[in-house]
Parts: sequence; C-alpha cells; structure tokens
Amino acid sequence: MEPRILKDTIALPYQWALGPVNTRFFQEFKERRIFGTRCPKCGRVLVPARAFCARCFVPLDEWVQVRDEGTIKTWTYVAYSYVGQPMQPPYVSALIQLDGADTAIPHLVAGFDLSNLEEVRARIRVGTRVRAVWREDTEGTILDIRYFEPV
Amino acid sequence: MARKVAVVGTGQTRHGKRQDVSYPEMIREAVVAALEDAGLGWEHIDAVVCGSMPPPMEGTNAPHLWWADAMGAGGKPLLRVATCGTTGISIAHAAYYHVASGLFDVVLAVGAEKQYEGESQGTMTTVGEPFFQRQFVAGAPGVFAYQCNEYAHRYHLDEERVRAAAAEIAVRNHVDALDNPFAHLRQRITVEDVLRSRVLAYPIRLLDCCPASDGACAVIFAAGEVAPRITRTPAWVAGVGYAGEEHWVGDSDKVWWQSARQAALQAYRMAGITDPLEQLDVAELYNPFSFQELIFYELFGFCGPGEGCRLVEEGVVRRGGKLPCDPSGGVLCTNPIGATGLIRVAEAAMQVTGKAGAHQVEGARTALAHAIGGTQQINGVMILTSLD
Amino acid sequence: MPGKVAVVSWAQTEYREAHDATIREMVFRVAREALDRAGLTREELGTVITASSDYWQGISCSNEYYLDAAGGYLKSGAKAEEDGALAFMYAFMRVASGHFDTALVVAVTKGSEIPPLATLTHLYSEPFFQRPMGIDDVNAAAMQARLYMERYGATPEQFARVVVKNLGNARRNPLAFRKATLTVEEVLRSPVVADPLREPDVAPGADGACAVLLAGEETAKRLTDRPVWVRGVGWSVSSYYLGDRDLLDGSLPDAARRAYRMAGITDPRAEIRVAELCEAYSFQELLWCEQLGFCGPGEGARLLEEGVTAPDGDLPVNPSGGVLAGNPYCARGLVRIAEAAAQVAGRAGEHQVEGVRTALAHSYHGLAGQLHSVVILGR
Repeated sequence: MEPRILKDTIALPYQWALGPVNTRFFQEFKERRIFGTRCPKCGRVLVPARAFCARCFVPLDEWVQVRDEGTIKTWTYVAYSYVGQPMQPPYVSALIQLDGADTAIPHLVAGFDLSNLEEVRARIRVGTRVRAVWREDTEGTILDIRYFEPV
Repeated sequence: MARKVAVVGTGQTRHGKRQDVSYPEMIREAVVAALEDAGLGWEHIDAVVCGSMPPPMEGTNAPHLWWADAMGAGGKPLLRVATCGTTGISIAHAAYYHVASGLFDVVLAVGAEKQYEGESQGTMTTVGEPFFQRQFVAGAPGVFAYQCNEYAHRYHLDEERVRAAAAEIAVRNHVDALDNPFAHLRQRITVEDVLRSRVLAYPIRLLDCCPASDGACAVIFAAGEVAPRITRTPAWVAGVGYAGEEHWVGDSDKVWWQSARQAALQAYRMAGITDPLEQLDVAELYNPFSFQELIFYELFGFCGPGEGCRLVEEGVVRRGGKLPCDPSGGVLCTNPIGATGLIRVAEAAMQVTGKAGAHQVEGARTALAHAIGGTQQINGVMILTSLD
Repeated sequence: MPGKVAVVSWAQTEYREAHDATIREMVFRVAREALDRAGLTREELGTVITASSDYWQGISCSNEYYLDAAGGYLKSGAKAEEDGALAFMYAFMRVASGHFDTALVVAVTKGSEIPPLATLTHLYSEPFFQRPMGIDDVNAAAMQARLYMERYGATPEQFARVVVKNLGNARRNPLAFRKATLTVEEVLRSPVVADPLREPDVAPGADGACAVLLAGEETAKRLTDRPVWVRGVGWSVSSYYLGDRDLLDGSLPDAARRAYRMAGITDPRAEIRVAELCEAYSFQELLWCEQLGFCGPGEGARLLEEGVTAPDGDLPVNPSGGVLAGNPYCARGLVRIAEAAAQVAGRAGEHQVEGVRTALAHSYHGLAGQLHSVVILGR
C-alpha cells in the first residue's frame, strides 16, 4: 500500500502579559531609552531590565539607563527561511552588548548591502561598534529599533 | 550509597523520512527492538519514561498519552520528560533515577520525533519568549552560528583553520554513518563538498548541518541486582550530569560554556574520571552543527581551551584515534531530536558492550553520551562503562 | 528501598483569572518563597524539577523560559510535562536515590494567556480518529459523567452538591480563584456546557504557580521542625483511546494501590484523614473517591451526602476548594500536594482539618483521566 498523509494546519491565539517590568521597559523604549536593572549582589547591569537576578536569586529594582550603542559580541548571516522570521533572508542577526550593560541582547544588524556574504564579512566582525537605528513611529516593541548599523 | 543501574538493551528505528508509519507505529518499532535486545517481555517493564521536542512540532498535545499503548505502558507508571534538545538525555537521566531511587527495577526509556510531520524550525523559533528574543534567535542554525563565530574570535584562531577542522568533522561523521544501518544521511562527502555547499547561517553551511529526521530510540535500564540476570553485558551508568543557564541568550558565555562544562564535571566526578582523554574510549557528542564539536572537546577536557582544531588535525577524534567521537555518524547525520540524546546513550551502551557492529570502536570500555538544548542554554551528559 | 524524603516547605501564588506578572516572575516568587521558608539558599539547593507544557504556554521548550527563575542556574534538573504532581514524583526519586539532598519542584500555568482548555485538550486527540470527532477534555468528561449516571444511578443533583461543597470550602482559602455560596438549585439552573455538565461543574482556568521543596531525611529535620514525610507515591496510565477503556475503571486504582502499598495503608478510608483530589469536573470527585477505595463502586455520592467528605467529616475532600476553585492546569497537581502537606503540617490556616496525621493528594491529566497519580503524606 502507498503510505498516505493527512494534512492540516493548526493556528492558535496566545496573549502574553508583559508584566510590570517589561511594560515599564517598553514605555521607556518607546521614548528611545534603554534600561537595565543592576543586581545589588553581583553588581551586573542586566539588559533588558528584569525582576530578579537568576544567579544571586534576589529581586532587582535599581533601573539603569544604558546607551543605544554597543559592541557586537557575536553574529551570523542568516540565509535560510522559516516561519516567523523578522525579515526576508539574507540578514544579519547578532548579540549586541550595549554600552553600560553586562549582558547582550539579540538584534539585527543592517544599513548596508546584505546581498553578498563576503561584503558583509568585511563590514562585520566580533567587536564591531554599532548603534541603534530607531523607527520614526515607535510602538513599544523590540522592533522599535529597526536594526543596528555599524558606527 | 546509590543503587547501581545499567543499560541492558537498546533499540532504534531506521531513521529518516518515515512517512510509512504513524507516530505510535514508529515508536513501537524501537521499543520492540529494545525488548528483543534485552530478551525481555512487556511484563518485565516496571515503568516507562518518554519524551520528544515541543508537541507543536508534530501537532498533537501531550503525545505521551497517544504513545502509551505503543510503549506498552498501560497499567504502568508513565512520565513524559521534555527539555528541548536535551530531551533524549533527560529521558535517560529520568529512567536512571527511577531505578536508582529503589522504586523500580526495570525501566523503559523512549524518545521520538517526526520532524517531517510539522514545521520544526518555526516551532524552535518559539523557544524564544515573544518580547525580546523570538524575533532574532533564528531557529536552531542561527543561534548556534553565534557560538561558532564567537569561538574563533575568542581564541584568536585563524578562521580558515577552524573552517577546515569543522569540515573534517562533517566528512568524518558522514563517512562513519555509512557503517551505521540506522543512520539517516548515508552519503560519502569530501571537504570540498562541505566548503562548496551553500551558507545557511554563516559560518554554517548545508553540509555542516544535521538533517531533520523521523525516528525513535528505546533503552532499557535495570537495577544492579537484576541487570546481570538479564544480560551478560550490562553497560553500567557511571556518571550523570546536567546543567542549565539563564533564558537570556546574551547573559552568559557560550564559548567557555558553563552548562556544558558543569554537566561534564558532575558526570566525571561521579564516574571518577580525572583524565577524560585517557579514561574515555569513545564519545557520542551532540553536534547538530560541525563547528560546535570543537567547543565540546575543550569543555569536556579532551584538550585545552582553543585547542579543539588540533584534535581533529592529529586524528585523535576519528576512528582509530585515541578518542573516537561520533562513530555512529552522530547528530550530523541523524537528528530525530527528541530521540537524539537517547540515541547517544544507546550508541554509548552499544560501544562499551561490543554491540556496535560495523562502527564498533575496538576495545571500548567507557563512553560518554551528550546532548544540548534550548537557546544554547542546557547540557546533559551520561557516562557508560562495561567495567564493573 | 527508597530513602526517606520529606516536604519541608511550599509556596503558592494566588489563583486568579489573570496575573500581571510574567511566568518568569511568578516562578521566581514561589521559588524564592519556598527556599526562604526553609532557610535554604539557591547555592545550597540540589536540583530543580519543573512542570509546564508548550501548548499551555505558547513558548516552546516551556521550561527553558523559566528554569533560571526556578533557581536552576547551573543546577541539574528537568521538566516533567503536563502535571506538577509528576514533577513531584521525579523530584522525589532524585532525592530518594541519594544523589541529591534537596529538590525544588515548581509548576506553572497562565490560563489567561493561552487558548481555552477545550482547544488545547482537543489536541490531545490524535489527528485521525478522535480529533475529527471533536473529542476534548470537556466532552470526554461529559461522556464519563453520563456513563456514571447510567451505571450507578448518580444524579446531576449529586454533582451539584460537590460544587456547593468545594466552592464553599474555597471561601476559607485566601488563594482560591472561584469561591461562592451556592445552592444545588442554582447550580442546576446554570447553563449546560456539555450535558450533563453545567458551567459550575467544570473547573475554571486560572493563572498560578506553586513550589514545593523536598529534602532527604537528615536535611529535612534540619530545615524544619515539622517535616511532612512522603510515605507513598504511585502513578499509572491507561490505554489511550476512549473506546478501549472502561471510563469508570481507569488507572487510578492502580496508582492508588502502588501508593498505599508503599505507605503500608490497608484501609484508606480509616487511615487517611484528608484528601486533595483533582476534580476538574464535579462528578469526578465522587468517582475518584470510589477508585481510591474510600467507598465501594457507585457509593461516592453516599459518602458526600453523609457528610464524610465535608470539612468537618471523617475524611474531608478538597478543604481548599479543589480544582473546581481554580484550575492552573499544569500546576493543579502540585497544588494538591502543597495543600495536603499544609494539612499534615497543621499550616493550612482557615481551612485546616483537625488532627491530620495522614493526607492524600491526587492528580491526573489526559481525557477522562488517563494518567493518574497519588501521593501519601504523613507525620
């Protein structure tokens, strides 16, 4: 017998609460300010701001503004497709440590020709300085920064 | 002291595109094979542990409920363990603790995945929370490519040298898979093929990357008192280790990767391993992307930090070398993810009991099995030995 | 023989329709609180086992989102999916094995963020036979209830009495979500959800998290003056297809038999002082009482009507209000265990049952109760 396949699509609605810390973070973010929280025990500034330090296991409430410029900690050039991508490949995804932060956030790096990997490699490396390119009409989501561009 | 536990039987399906069988039928194949290997009947199994990747990958919620009959679990304790990419090794750990606790004597562990039944990269992207990370942690290749690029930079390694070593690993795995009848990808490739294959997520190219597979694996664990009555060749669980990190991918160092390091150190401590290169005979590492394996050599103490390429260049980690890695062809050639970590355990057990057939490493006594998961977040290790 | 293991502390959030906090924040709160109550630091903690589920979170590999919030940074751990009671079983085994001195169990669900229970449990049905027929948790339970009525002559009035008792009990539980002073008539006048079940017969989804700290014998005695010993555990699964099973005689008797044997219990009705059961549908409390051996088959309603299961009865059932008072899905089983532990320790506050030496906690998941678990706790 020929193997047969039953096809169907499942789409489900979810609605995640941001919670007070993320809500405040994105309120500031909408105004183009980026905040972390400092741990009173280990002293690290954790970005994005959060309610507790997972290592010291203490609540955090000291908010610290960090810059919208930073350094690429690592990166990749994404050249494959999947459901839910932030943009059409190819694009550059990177971990960026903002000035004043002890942790890095994932975001996009763009603002130059992304069609050729070798040219991208010439522009981008670990340690490259980048700065945020903000949207004109910010909404309070992580994509209010359209991408980071090399300084 | 803790109760002794051994692997007394293993079973695997033929891995690959398995649209010839339903999910439970595929699982049944692996379970029947494990029971046959152990010479046990369904009635000898005291409890069952199983797991897979996120259920949205196949579109059935709590799939263990559906699998229950195929695993012969009816009227028995059943536990579903799910820890992302480490699921397979977590299943083995859970089965180990079932027996070590004294509650059960013989426990069946089952891991499975049917990647051809759903959208696995899309599902894996939803491992990132929706506020900060989901948009950017590009499925599995993207997040692990981060790690590869950071690695070369950290130790000031010539990128071409790292590239060449990773390609050698890819070639070695593909060649070894030809000797594994269960393997998914069975094709001879060359270094040139790897370097010519298209970029998926720089520096990872298509042939640096594991396939998406359907497949299942079953492993039977038994208490020290009963294992010798079941088999003349028990594979003793000598070490167990597991560690996780923060959810935030940018919070911790993924090159000198602490969850991997600590998982190995826990297992080594338990197994009394102080010099892994000397004391281990074979390792089944979790390398869905060729580059990553270099990092594991270092984190697991096979060599010093930044020295991973040397082990490849000197032939230490290929069959015939001092510490062959992934003689099964590894994750690079077979990746039914929920089963993958458990396959590492099964392969390690097969090696130390001389049951690995054409890919047997001569004289293997002690083997390491490993799995990773999350957005570079978690690692698990299990060490098996034939030494009593 | 497993080593001796005790519950030394626990913590719960309130159960609500919606919590403002994220899952990470809720988990941190209960984990921190459970550790603080035992005076244990995160560094000293041995291992962390959690329960949640991907469809029930909308974040895949659900535990990777919060394992650090549960204290798991660089700790050994794992996730038992779907039911916090099973995470408890796993944590128990880890401590009983002697490999870990302490284990923190955490379970969480935010019902407010996810599709309805009926939608997510419809996906419990495989795609070929049960799913096209629309089989989900609610209508499977309704079929089970109908069979229960037909076989034993149980009535909707009796089901309604369970609602009245449990939502009444919930008034004395400050953490409960749904609490009410109802009459049987009011329940019977409520809209039908799936005949014979009406709205109050069905447990309402809720947001909540729960943490329970386990310790080996010596450590438990050091951490608390009132260790609650885990005397017996048992769990068991039935066949999958509804049509393959007797819906009134599933895997619960087997789970109970395992737990009773380990605890040395021969007469559960006499030896157990209080029980926290997973009655996701009102009638199930009656059925589960029978399957747990509190009475004979078909006698569950008599137990209720005679007041045995009332808060001041011989064997109070769900003095906390049970799952009918709030169903934080993956956490509900661990909540039953925390409530049973609180009863044994004499720390249940307003809903404390007098003189509890032995308590039972029960949980299940799967259509019409496919996978049941039972825990016996005692002084």
